[in-house]
Amino acid sequence: MQYRSYAFSYALLFAVLTIVAISPSAAQPPQHPPSVRAAPKVPTIINPAPTAQDWADIAKLPDWSGVWNPKITDQDAQIKTNPPPWNEVAKKKIDHMFAEEKAGRPPLVFFGCFPEAHPTWMLVTHNAMEILFTPGRVTMLGESDGNRLRRIYTDGRPHPDDPDPTFHGHSIGHWEGDTLVVDTIGILPQAPLAISEAAGIPNNGDMHVIERIHLAEKDILHVDLEIIAPKILTKPWKTTRIFFRQRARKFDIVEGVCVQGDYSERVDANGDHVFVPVEKTIWGNIVPK
Amino acid sequence: MKRLFRSALALTALVGVAAGISSVAAHHSTTMFDHSKTLTINGTVVELRWVNPHVSLSVDGKLKDSEESGVWVMEMTSPGNLVRAGGWSRSSVKPGEKVEVDFSPLRDTSLKGGALKKLTIAATGQVLTANIRAQEMPGLE
Repeated sequence: MQYRSYAFSYALLFAVLTIVAISPSAAQPPQHPPSVRAAPKVPTIINPAPTAQDWADIAKLPDWSGVWNPKITDQDAQIKTNPPPWNEVAKKKIDHMFAEEKAGRPPLVFFGCFPEAHPTWMLVTHNAMEILFTPGRVTMLGESDGNRLRRIYTDGRPHPDDPDPTFHGHSIGHWEGDTLVVDTIGILPQAPLAISEAAGIPNNGDMHVIERIHLAEKDILHVDLEIIAPKILTKPWKTTRIFFRQRARKFDIVEGVCVQGDYSERVDANGDHVFVPVEKTIWGNIVPK
Repeated sequence: MKRLFRSALALTALVGVAAGISSVAAHHSTTMFDHSKTLTINGTVVELRWVNPHVSLSVDGKLKDSEESGVWVMEMTSPGNLVRAGGWSRSSVKPGEKVEVDFSPLRDTSLKGGALKKLTIAATGQVLTANIRAQEMPGLE
């Protein structure tokens, strides 16, 4: 009975396909009425293959190889010495967050393993990063999260007119001597502007970040930031974040998947190696029952 | 055998039930720990979870000056940072090893959790710490 019903279905399908194939409309290009005619074709912009000269030019850039770690004690110090010029509403929220943190109830600035986002990654990260140069691009790769990644285009392109908002925005850069100047727009309004892991609020849109990144000493990298966040700051905020270099191979950056911390590795009843959710407090701590 | 059974029980206790788990913050601040206090536990390692964003060590034992025993979970920074903080690897300490751990407990004292400050491995006397701010200089070896 089941076989007969399959046979009938296939016969019906064949008949329909045959009718479609021999109908006049299938043999001719579709005729669109003027109102739905395709938009004029925009020329496709190609990313050209790098030349030998492009690679040779990379060798002239300053040496930023190695693993760069943040100077967290300086991040801590700047909370008091160089706070952002919060507007009145933002200041109240931040003061409340500090009070909550002091009371042992740190607000969840980072939750669900979302990226810290730009520029907060530069401002408060506790983890290492590495910086790669390739023709037309500088790439920053952060430890501890597969999406902690910045693509900075140095091929002369402009920002898109209306970039899709993302956690790290759209970045274009150029070299002024040994300083990389980076301009970033298109950051998600939900991305926090944070000054610690427990104090930060959504930028609420229209954030613009300008960075001047350069070696201050042989193994010290400075990221000079100017952060324009008109929805939460009264004026542009300037700050410098310090990273120090390590070259020992044992400190090479390793893969880190943030959400992995929400699971335990176990072997199930079938003998399969699986991830099992762990129970946590509202602050994300693993706690045994 | 008894120890094995107890470890298995502790492991089971560590794994939450999938149902009812809220959206949690894997990556978090550390002020839910009371850093003004240091407690010491002597016990047996149940598990070292070498994962991002926070490595955790669970120890089954007794707090100093207490007769109550149980499994405590101590959290730390990330694997990469612990390597840089000095001496750590995912096999630094193994299940079943006797250890002493100094830690700052959670402010919510109903929960057996804390932030690890110092781990001493009884058999070797090796001491491991977890302070990432102590490693802020270029070219560390």
